[in-house]
Amino acid sequence: MSEHAITTFGPAKGNMLERRPLVSNQRSMGWITNHIAGMLEGKIPLWWWIALVLSAGVATLVPFQLMYLVGTGVGIWGSNQPVSWAWDITNFVFWIGIGHAGTLISAILFLTRQKWRTSINRAAEAMTIFAVICAGIFPAFHVGRVWMAWFLAPIPNANAIWPNFKSPLLWDVFAVSTYFTVSLIFWYIGLVPDLATIRDRATGKIRKWIYGFLALGWRGGNRQWRHYEKAYLILAGISTPLVLSVHSIVSFDFATSVIPGWHTTIFPPYFVAGAIFGGFAMVLTLMIPVRAIFGLEDMITRKHIDNMAKIVVMTGSIVGYAYLMELFIAWYSGNPNEWWAFLHNRVLPSAPYAWAYWSMMFCNVIAPQLFWFKACRTNVLAVWVIVQFPNIGMWFERFVIICTSLHRDFLPSSWGMFVPSINDILLFTGTFGLFLFLFLLFLRFLPAITIFEVKAVLPEADPHYHDPEAKPQHGAAH
Amino acid sequence: MPRRTGGLPLLVTSYNGRPIKIEGNPLHPASKGKSDLLAQASILNLYDPDRSHRFVQAGKRSDATSCFRALAEAKTLWQQGGGKGLAILSEDNLSPTEDRLQTEFQAKYPSALWATYEPGRAGSVQSGVETAYGKGAVLRHRYDLAKVILSLDADFLTGEESSLANVRGFADGRRVEGPDSSMNRLYAVESRYTNTGAAADHRLRLPSSHIVALVAQLAAAVGAQNLPIFSALPEVSVDPNWIREAAADLLAAGSKALVVAGSTQSAAVHLAVAAINEALGNQGSTVEVIRLPRPSSLSIVELAAQIKAGQITDLILLGGNPVYNAPVDLAWAELQKSVKNVYRLGVYEDESSEAVAWHLPQAHYLECWGDTLLQDGSYGCIQPLILPLHGGISVSQLLAYLLNVPAPEGKELIDGPALVQETFKRKSSTLQTGVFDFENAWNLFVRDGFQAKSAPDATKSPFLFSGAAAVAENRMSRPQALGKDNLEIVFVNDGKVDDGRYVNNGWLQELPDAVTKLTWDNAALMSPATAQELGIYSGVQVQGITADGIYRSDVITLTVDGRSLDMPFLIVPGHADYSITLPLGYGHEKTGRVGQGVGFNAYRLRSSQNPSVLTGATVVKKGGKLHPFAVTQEHWSMEGRDIVREGPIAYYKEHPGFVRSLGIESHTPENLNFYTAPPFDYEKYHQWGMSIDLTTCIGCNACVVACQAENNIPIVGKDQVAKGREMHWMRIDRYFSGSQRDIERKMGVMPTDPEMVLQPLTCLHCENAPCETVCPVNATVHNEEGLNVMAYNRCIGTRYCANNCPYKVRRFNWFDYNQRQLDQLYWGPLGPKGVEETLKLSKNPNVTVRMRGVMEKCTFCVQRIETAKIDHKITTERREIKIPTDSLQTACQQSCPADAIVFGDLSDPKSRVNQIKGNEMFGIKGYSHDYNLLDYLNTRPRLSYLARIRNPNPRMPGADKVGRALIDAYEKKHHHAEGHDKAHDAKQGLKPGAATPAGHSQETAPTPH
Repeated sequence: MSEHAITTFGPAKGNMLERRPLVSNQRSMGWITNHIAGMLEGKIPLWWWIALVLSAGVATLVPFQLMYLVGTGVGIWGSNQPVSWAWDITNFVFWIGIGHAGTLISAILFLTRQKWRTSINRAAEAMTIFAVICAGIFPAFHVGRVWMAWFLAPIPNANAIWPNFKSPLLWDVFAVSTYFTVSLIFWYIGLVPDLATIRDRATGKIRKWIYGFLALGWRGGNRQWRHYEKAYLILAGISTPLVLSVHSIVSFDFATSVIPGWHTTIFPPYFVAGAIFGGFAMVLTLMIPVRAIFGLEDMITRKHIDNMAKIVVMTGSIVGYAYLMELFIAWYSGNPNEWWAFLHNRVLPSAPYAWAYWSMMFCNVIAPQLFWFKACRTNVLAVWVIVQFPNIGMWFERFVIICTSLHRDFLPSSWGMFVPSINDILLFTGTFGLFLFLFLLFLRFLPAITIFEVKAVLPEADPHYHDPEAKPQHGAAH
Repeated sequence: MPRRTGGLPLLVTSYNGRPIKIEGNPLHPASKGKSDLLAQASILNLYDPDRSHRFVQAGKRSDATSCFRALAEAKTLWQQGGGKGLAILSEDNLSPTEDRLQTEFQAKYPSALWATYEPGRAGSVQSGVETAYGKGAVLRHRYDLAKVILSLDADFLTGEESSLANVRGFADGRRVEGPDSSMNRLYAVESRYTNTGAAADHRLRLPSSHIVALVAQLAAAVGAQNLPIFSALPEVSVDPNWIREAAADLLAAGSKALVVAGSTQSAAVHLAVAAINEALGNQGSTVEVIRLPRPSSLSIVELAAQIKAGQITDLILLGGNPVYNAPVDLAWAELQKSVKNVYRLGVYEDESSEAVAWHLPQAHYLECWGDTLLQDGSYGCIQPLILPLHGGISVSQLLAYLLNVPAPEGKELIDGPALVQETFKRKSSTLQTGVFDFENAWNLFVRDGFQAKSAPDATKSPFLFSGAAAVAENRMSRPQALGKDNLEIVFVNDGKVDDGRYVNNGWLQELPDAVTKLTWDNAALMSPATAQELGIYSGVQVQGITADGIYRSDVITLTVDGRSLDMPFLIVPGHADYSITLPLGYGHEKTGRVGQGVGFNAYRLRSSQNPSVLTGATVVKKGGKLHPFAVTQEHWSMEGRDIVREGPIAYYKEHPGFVRSLGIESHTPENLNFYTAPPFDYEKYHQWGMSIDLTTCIGCNACVVACQAENNIPIVGKDQVAKGREMHWMRIDRYFSGSQRDIERKMGVMPTDPEMVLQPLTCLHCENAPCETVCPVNATVHNEEGLNVMAYNRCIGTRYCANNCPYKVRRFNWFDYNQRQLDQLYWGPLGPKGVEETLKLSKNPNVTVRMRGVMEKCTFCVQRIETAKIDHKITTERREIKIPTDSLQTACQQSCPADAIVFGDLSDPKSRVNQIKGNEMFGIKGYSHDYNLLDYLNTRPRLSYLARIRNPNPRMPGADKVGRALIDAYEKKHHHAEGHDKAHDAKQGLKPGAATPAGHSQETAPTPH
């Protein structure tokens, strides 16, 4: 009877390609819960302590640098006239870009029912939050008088002075803060069922209390699940346009200006594609070691990595197209200032920042093309090495856009060079420390993979599933 | 303002008893309210906290009482001996009172020696002119009358020979108001690029020591008196066509021609130039001979001989700084030490105050009564505006003390105007006929600042050449072939710190040099080819920038006459080959905090025999550490862009609208607006606008410092300037012709003999300002008068506006430049905070002193606008009307001696700026060579430029290249001139801007109701 049932309802071997399961080795639900929750239970491993202390040490550069910056002046950086923005805004756009993958994975892939997202979305979202925190430091503190930055908020005041709603920088303030808020809520809502799981497994009283508090009284009832799924769907809907809008608006900082090299209509899609590109590169950078350390190969399978590598090569190619197109348009426009900004500021070997431009080109356009080869996509080590290029390249992209355009614009009399100061370098390094520090805390204190969603992609979660090896069930019949 | 070349008539603004801003005296015909760079900057010297503020006895702090007790004892001894063993070394301030006291001193102390020393003044001019026209003769050049001018190493616009009248006369003579204007023509022959060379229609680079040969050939060509002394001179490699055609042009101009020689030139050259001017019939026309008798004095060389002979036991130094700047062969420092008692009156406790018996603090000219001969020879009054801040005393006060002129009860020194009044009485008695009303005359003198009609009249002077030939022969230095082992060194007064006296003036130190754009330094200037041939040229200067973004140079060792000096060098295009220019005035070992250790002391190579030009110098690369320079402009080429537009006047006559169809604008369509901003209300409000004339601008930098003084702009120090963080609201861009990229690629050096153009830039107050839309907090907005205004206390310092400014005129306070020590900017809160008390006094109370973290830029002197409006409302008691036409000047405009800057109300049909820019609303056509910078961006700037029109002599070699770079590029692109005409005519038809600048094109012009 059971034999017959399988041939009737199961996948027809030989007639249909079998979809590779998203969780390999036929792991059970119990195994999944134990394995993920185990990452934050039991003894804290030594490597975690070492990594935490190291990253915390580097992260302390941030408060010290900011204290020095605010106490002394923006002059401690290398910025000057004409390059009034340099590493500050470069780093801002770099981090904001990294923060794109998380929401893309959790919202757009959710709406398009890409089930493979489940193993990576939690960590990617956490990465988003931390990257946006790092990003926010730069625009907030790059201003000359940070203590007056509240002027940016549309607070009714006696002078009736509002912020300038025409300024892209103000749009940035709204866009980034909205993005951060929505991403945080989205992430947190998604965490609630898993927090309840941790609460239920907790042994200590304090632990139970804290996770209980965070789980918001989740009991897993049918009505709660219905509410949860609606809320999650709505938030996914809200987040999806944000993925596109934030980096579009960040690109407006440049696109709406008059500076050759900035004044480019292709920027919004080009920035979004670049952000997804950089974001996925960073997800891979983080998740490949995490996968190895915590033995998550069964949940973050080669298939996941393969998929992400494909996205990297696709977005990398879009970015490459954008680079070539803006170059073409600069020539085709017939505007000598525009063409100069590309040819003599960036492209030619005699251009002062040619090294940055060609680093960008190599890292973002050439290097990811290796992902056309399956061998490169499935070799985890190779993937990790290759995605370092987009990580570097995307930083250079922003540097190239910002610095090379500014350093030589319309009047040659005002041309200058930018050289970073030690403080530029230390603050940027510090944000990496902060990012890793937060991510390490995340790994230890929150479930890094969505337990309940991974269970939902198990074959067992399918109502039509029938375990071939299970004993015949009789309960229902009786 | 007293000056060794003649005082400047000034009018100083004073608030609450503190003078804060210097302007020219509008009553004086030479000034008409205009002034120059040093006058503008000299106010900062008044408030210099490092000025000498104490009496010092043998290195120890003392007080006035002890000092005068000691002086009284000494004075008694000197009187007993009739001044035997006593010597005075003074500066030459052209002060009639000081001259009078000197004469009286020489009478009272017959055995005393009186010597004068002005390191910045070459004696050759005086000696040449006196040889030509007799003792006491001084030349006054009338550039206003000159049609053709030939300058021989004379920077008569900004250098040693400059005067306000020169600039005014020259500028008025070539102001272009339309294709029908006539222009004077300037030929310049010079070794280094000067502002005069930049202004010239034809410029020839020639080593200073070779100019004598050119003069000889020129004299022959114009048929000057037979000059046998020049006949034997070797030919130098000058294009004979150049001399021939220039001479023909001079001859054609007849008595409207003018030939001038610079102070680097020998007495013989000045004599020959006098002969040439005589031959052209210029005396009484463009050259006036006046007589200014001065008391006789010894030279410092003669004094040194007396000291060496042990004749001098007491030496009084009245100002000056001989230990620093005396001719090196005198070894003055040792000489001064060998004198038993040295009394030194000095502005700073500097090199010359070391090891003296007494140092007395000298007062600033704004602190004490005085008088001076003005640049035109008229008699000027110096009225104090403030009591001496540091208890300083003046030269005449000290002289009066030595002469026992009775001082008021209880005081050592005579006070008040008594000394000047006495001189005034005596001088007036020679002018006045009938009853002399002293009270009235004196009050008028003080009120006007000068005595009317006191300028000496030109005298018809016979040219005494024949008797002088022998003298000239003796002083003749024969030009020798120069080469890399026989270089020429030319000493020049620095354009900023002069002979060194302004070295502690931060405004001047931070001011970019007009040609090199160098700040906080001096350097040996030489041509690219010379540097290459000497092998001192390193790759560093290809781009000029080392890895840390700073311009650096190798240090070289200059050797001449057995003396040597280590100094960095700068390559300057257009410099004569094998000639090295050394600007004097830097490298002080001891002075105030600003000037100490800045630059290199070129006096160490300067001897008493050849104070101006030396030959036989050699240069080797010293190696070792590179010297960092703070240069404000790193790129010298316009790269073919239509930024500074120029053209010869002949071309302008043929194509009156050519200016607006050059460069990118020959291709771009008319600017269109999808969105028209609310038009400005021309009925109710003033609409401010500015025009800068690139034809008459000589790049003298007076406007830059005037702006700095008016607007409380801080200095930021060498380190910050090198980082590109200078704060000047106004700058003067300097471009050489040619493409930097091409030249660097091909040869790796700068062009050999390019043309140079200058362009002053302030905020252009765009009606459609890119900075305004991007400011997130509305800190920079437009007001109803068309000003782009900055609200400092609203600014949070995102710097987005500066990024988006296509003209890069915005300046950011990277540090708290007003509150922090410039050498401790990076210390932040750990460093001391606060401003020197005297510097607080120097601030303009009507302008906010900006804190760190805010953006700033030119405001079109909004404080002056508001003051004028308030004053007008108060005086007229009518609330709605506008201020009278052109009754207001911005600081830059007010200082501009060439009147190149015109500011005014565009809503007033009578305003000058409307006549220039044109205004369709009022049917004013405007000048057809008015153009907007980067017009295609549609920023609609309120500041537009008048293109630089030049007047080349078509027969001169290279005349077809003068001022034609952009035009040639245009015509090349359009294959032939006819095509250009068509395109250009079509453009003119299409563009209402032909009559009005785009700023008032139809979309934006308000419709009168």
